[in-house]
Amino acid sequence: MISVSKLVKRYGDLVAVDGLSFEVGKGEIVGFLGPNGAGKSTTLRILAGFLGQTSGKATVCGHDVAADSLEARRSIGYMPEAVPLYPEMRVIEYLAFRAELKNVPRAKRAAAIDAAMEKAGVADRATSLIGKLSKGYRQRVGLADALVSSPPLLILDEPTAGLDPNQIRDVRKVLREIGKEHTVLLSTHILSEVESTCSRAIVIAKGKLVAQGTIAELRKLRRSPALVLVVRGDAQKAESTLAELDVFSKIGVEADGEVATIRCAWKKKADAAENTERAVAGLVAAGLAIRSAAPEQSTLEDVFAELTAS
Amino acid sequence: MRAFWPIFKRELFAFWVTPLAWVLACVFLVVQGLHFSVLVKSFAETSSIDSDQTPIQAFFGNTVLLYLILFLLVPPMTMRLFAEERRAGTIESLMTAPVAAPAVVLAKYAAALVTYAAMWAPTILYVVILQRSGFVDWHVVGASYLGVMFVGAGYLALGLLMSAVTKSQFIALVLTALVLLVLFILGIGEFVTRDGTMLHDVCSYVSVWAQMNDFASGVVDSRRLVWDGTLVVLPLFLTARVVDSWRWT
Repeated sequence: MISVSKLVKRYGDLVAVDGLSFEVGKGEIVGFLGPNGAGKSTTLRILAGFLGQTSGKATVCGHDVAADSLEARRSIGYMPEAVPLYPEMRVIEYLAFRAELKNVPRAKRAAAIDAAMEKAGVADRATSLIGKLSKGYRQRVGLADALVSSPPLLILDEPTAGLDPNQIRDVRKVLREIGKEHTVLLSTHILSEVESTCSRAIVIAKGKLVAQGTIAELRKLRRSPALVLVVRGDAQKAESTLAELDVFSKIGVEADGEVATIRCAWKKKADAAENTERAVAGLVAAGLAIRSAAPEQSTLEDVFAELTAS
Repeated sequence: MRAFWPIFKRELFAFWVTPLAWVLACVFLVVQGLHFSVLVKSFAETSSIDSDQTPIQAFFGNTVLLYLILFLLVPPMTMRLFAEERRAGTIESLMTAPVAAPAVVLAKYAAALVTYAAMWAPTILYVVILQRSGFVDWHVVGASYLGVMFVGAGYLALGLLMSAVTKSQFIALVLTALVLLVLFILGIGEFVTRDGTMLHDVCSYVSVWAQMNDFASGVVDSRRLVWDGTLVVLPLFLTARVVDSWRWT
């Protein structure tokens, strides 16, 4: 559905996208992942036909985005990052305008608008002025706009940005539904978002492809960097017990009365699951009481550090 | 060009659903109404046999009020057309729909032109009032409105171009006003340059003042229409190029 090869976009001296190549197949929900300023929006804007690339080639649904721009745009439902909308229009008026603009035949327009509003969950605000809608609803109007012409491909730029946790959950649910019928490429800088909605992820940083793979492969990359234990008892004994296991590269102890928090950074290639069991068993055998044992959550930045280092 | 209709309709909607067009129409009609009543009053007080002018002629030609009103009317009408879409970011939704740049430009321009015509439309009542108490030459009226529409068409096209070159409505407004002022001053040049010089010819050719005097006397000069047409086509062409160029910035 999407094929990008050696895509480059320069803004003067700044290289926003630097030789990016990737593919998105039919029926996939692909997360386009990267920190802020990685070139996600620029890439999506090129695919959506809003920006022209400096060099390289990009095709969507078999149409070159530069040479065959109108046809390419016709096959895409695009939702821009900040979801810009006309505040003076009502939701239904706006969607009617967008449907006509996207060549939805007159006879099918009303049904298409209803279906899009239903899918995006905005049907209950059909006659509200867009300027008076909450951020969450504006996001849904943007989604309904992307869906109104039932394009085979949806390109969504940060669909959950700026939403509260409840709204994020709603939007993700909608995305999973949509993903059953459409191919979706969505950008985000939140790793858990990709895990919860996407089947595959493409990771970029500084305009370059850093990694791509299925969520399972990505999870491996997201290995926890450390085990955090909270124990009651002799902290020094605990430290020496853990050190004997020879799987931790660094052990930090913070004692607070008789309770101690111990952060144990894993050595490379140490099996976290198996050695967590060994560590807990060892500490119990040494007479310490365990209050909690939890893997430290790795952030996207950790993953990036790991990815870019190798 | 299939994108023309939806954009045209939306632009008209945006003009008339916000207070701007109504405020402009109000101010325009109040000024024109005052202008007309003052004219008619002064014509009624002087003997019509002494005068070589008719109220219609005085209303459309030989008056600075016409340019003043265009100068006040056109820049606020065109300032938001592209500048606001770019400031608000809605240009991104618009240009990622399957629309070609010329269709977008023409649709926005047509909406502005129709709005402009709608503002002039009630002034036809003035002529109807005149006719009830005297003789009106409808050919002259037709020529006058033709002149007003052509001059306005050129001004609106220039305003549209100015709106495309900046993201700020205010800067678009100032730029449009400046361009219109320069055009007007060029026209005035007809009176300060020596007869027979090249500059004089150019000034009299581009003079809106002279054009409206001609048209208000029923003289439709095709050279004037060519000049006005140039002021429409060239800015629209440039605007389409500017819209295309946004992809490459």
